[in-house]
Amino acid sequence: MLTYELSMLLRTMPKEELAVVLKRASTSIFNQGGIIRNIDNLGARKMPYKTSNHGVVHKQAHYFVISFTAPPSKLVTIESECHRDVDIIRNRIFKVNENANFECTLEEELKPPPYRPEVIKMIEDARKKGKKVGKSTFKFNTGLDYYPFQR
Amino acid sequence: MMQNPIYFLLKQSRSTGPMLLPRLVHSSVTLQRNAESGGAETSDMPIEIENPFKKEKVVCILCKMKIEPDYKNVRLLSQFVSPFTGLMYGRHITGLCKTQQERVASEITKSQNAGMMPYYNKEPEFLEDPKLFNPDRPVRNHEY
Ligand SMILES: [Zn+2]
Repeated sequence: MLTYELSMLLRTMPKEELAVVLKRASTSIFNQGGIIRNIDNLGARKMPYKTSNHGVVHKQAHYFVISFTAPPSKLVTIESECHRDVDIIRNRIFKVNENANFECTLEEELKPPPYRPEVIKMIEDARKKGKKVGKSTFKFNTGLDYYPFQR
Repeated sequence: MMQNPIYFLLKQSRSTGPMLLPRLVHSSVTLQRNAESGGAETSDMPIEIENPFKKEKVVCILCKMKIEPDYKNVRLLSQFVSPFTGLMYGRHITGLCKTQQERVASEITKSQNAGMMPYYNKEPEFLEDPKLFNPDRPVRNHEY
């Protein structure tokens, strides 16, 4: 099972009510057979853009991130349940980034164009395309090396 | 008429007497020394070493500092965003490698979507942050 993150913006309200909303969200995850790994409180702050939800325009929000593990097929249910919650302004589920193993290719990218691997590949592709690999041109079989009729 | 700088220097040295010239050829002293010691001794043969003038591999700032771009780290992502349009700068300005540029771009979209980062501007509180690059002096010319 993969680890996901549920980022939620909650309506500004007292602490006890926040706990109730978080409990509601986490029970919806538990009901779908998920496990909660961590709940992060990113604090209350002004939203970068105003959002209207459930008929109210919000300009401030409490930011929370719940990292959890759940079967991928149940994510839609969790998301829709949060979506129906009146106290949640906005919610998104993101997959947690895996540790990416890659080499920095900046040095090759800074080379002049004919030395860049991607440009070399592009030139090769264009050459192949010009040759029309797999396609044959029509032969007139006139025995002449020019086209005898008027074009 | 344009004058060859070296020719100019030589001419000047002839007229004004001895002066410092750029060392274009081995000076006669070193050539003499080489002639005396060369040939007979085998220990003086050139040895194979790694190229001492080889430059260090150029690495982008995120790979160098080993920073993983994350959608919750709005402050970091905002450094790659234009304060005028809220769009991410191109690779020729940010100086990131292709992979990191793509990762940062996707994290910015995620962050904007989750309501953590504005779409059309940069957060005013991050405007004073240190600049990682100068948008007026791109690494490569603009593609348009
Ligand atoms: Zn890199």
